[in-house]
Amino acid sequence: MRNALAIAGKELRGYFASPIGWVICGLFSLIFGWFFYTYLEYFVRNSMQSDMGQGGPMNINLSLIRPLFSNATVIILFVLPSITMRTYSEEKRSGTIELLLTSPVTDWEIIIGKFLGAMGLYCSMLAATMVYMAILFAYGQPEWKPLVAGYLGLVLMGGCFISMGLFISSLTKNQIIAGIATFIAGLMFWVINWLGDNASPTTAAILSYLSITEHFDDFAKGVVDTKHLIFYLSFIAFGLFLTSKSVDTERWKG
Amino acid sequence: MIEVQHLTKRYGPVTAVDDISFRVEQGEILGFLGPNGAGKTTTMRILTGYMPATDGKAIVAGFDVFAKPIDAKARTGYLPETPPLYPDMTVREYLTFVAKLKMPKKTTAADRRARVEAIMKKTFVDDMAARHCGKLSKGYRQRVGLAQALIHDPEVLILDEPTAGLDPKQIIETRDLVRSLKGDHTVVLSTHILPEVAQTCERVVIINKGRVVAVDTPENLTRQLRGSSSLYVQVDVTGGDAHATLRSVPGVTKVDVADRHEGFVGYELHAEQQRDVRRDVARAIVDRGMGLLEMRPMRMSLEDIFLQLTTNEQSAPGEAPTPAGQAAEGGSHA
Repeated sequence: MRNALAIAGKELRGYFASPIGWVICGLFSLIFGWFFYTYLEYFVRNSMQSDMGQGGPMNINLSLIRPLFSNATVIILFVLPSITMRTYSEEKRSGTIELLLTSPVTDWEIIIGKFLGAMGLYCSMLAATMVYMAILFAYGQPEWKPLVAGYLGLVLMGGCFISMGLFISSLTKNQIIAGIATFIAGLMFWVINWLGDNASPTTAAILSYLSITEHFDDFAKGVVDTKHLIFYLSFIAFGLFLTSKSVDTERWKG
Repeated sequence: MIEVQHLTKRYGPVTAVDDISFRVEQGEILGFLGPNGAGKTTTMRILTGYMPATDGKAIVAGFDVFAKPIDAKARTGYLPETPPLYPDMTVREYLTFVAKLKMPKKTTAADRRARVEAIMKKTFVDDMAARHCGKLSKGYRQRVGLAQALIHDPEVLILDEPTAGLDPKQIIETRDLVRSLKGDHTVVLSTHILPEVAQTCERVVIINKGRVVAVDTPENLTRQLRGSSSLYVQVDVTGGDAHATLRSVPGVTKVDVADRHEGFVGYELHAEQQRDVRRDVARAIVDRGMGLLEMRPMRMSLEDIFLQLTTNEQSAPGEAPTPAGQAAEGGSHA
């Protein structure tokens, strides 16, 4: 485990030693902030109207935080491939993978280390968005429990994209290919339930179960359902398992 | 310390390493010599646990690299062909990271720091400690790579072309460093620079096309392969049959024309082993009224041996009783 943490630390430092980490965090905050602003403006305008007697009372969790989280999933879909694309590809291209594979470290320690490193960057991205939430708490009374559930959902959903990105990155030396392939794969898992519209009920149920974002809806509402937890955790575990198989195969091929 | 038995590595239809066996004793420096693509790097990668072999066994520091990879790796230092550096890390950060991975887990942070500083001094990179690895010159990269391999004071060191890309002064420093490791560490280094082998290694394994062609000390290899000593003689041939004259000298077994100029010819003489024919050759030529212009012994350098061994194999794969074949057999049983 200490090896995994050493690798996670190296990964995280790697993100912030180069511009990548800062650029990703910055752009993410920018887009998130833009969404936040538009929803906030919409919310303020509507609540003023509801004060004047038009429509019912406004709920900040329901009409601001929830759509904001749903939009965050889109940004994450775009941003996470750029975090994971270099994890293995870059090590393979530059030959540093030789250092890791000849150190007294198991494949799993490397994989867990890389996963935690990417999660670290992702979580710091999410942490930056808490500033916006703090603004809400300063000027309003949102409920904090759905907020925690939403963040938990974002972390888990991001974990799925990261574990998938790690696997795809372990397949190629080229980080651009890894990035694009991860984005496409993520998009597939995102829209897979759209196919269900014209399919039989069973197929539709399966397809919607496979959709990463479908499982997020409950989290955005503030509901933590074990069904979704299990889906996300097993998705992450499966991605990491595939990565370990891919690393092992690569060894044999040489 | 290192024992390799019938190691074979195939990449699909290509056999990169074909049934290699050799041993390296504790504290020894073994040179691994071969043309590009001979299987040096593949063998080293197998020994370091980077990739598994298709067949055969490799024991490093008492541990089978396939069955107990973590134990074997903890006792092995490896410098790959391209030093595995992270460009965004400073030299100190990088070595600290490697120390965390490779040094025993009970090592304290203070010990680790001290070790990183000590190894930077030892490999002459301490003046670049705060520089990013990506901004280092080739020589420094190579030495940081060496520092990385040495950081956990491994019993076995495997160096893939440690002097490649260095300037002459750095080459000498690196060689001295490698030589200073002798005794405490068992070293296997690969190279295609032959004088390097003669200077640093106690034994040489020559491999070609994935097979061991010779295992011996550099001196023995030179001696065995010299076979007959040869002589270069340049003669002013006006007024005599130099070829016949040389042929008639007792002890001379073979006369070849090496080069031909207007009026004089260079010959290459092969004499019986341990027999000095120079006086007789000189007298014979002068006595027949010809002019002796030049005479010098033709020594076989390690280069010639290397070429002979690695090209023999190509032209006559089945023929065993060449000196090379004997050397290989003698070596693998040693």
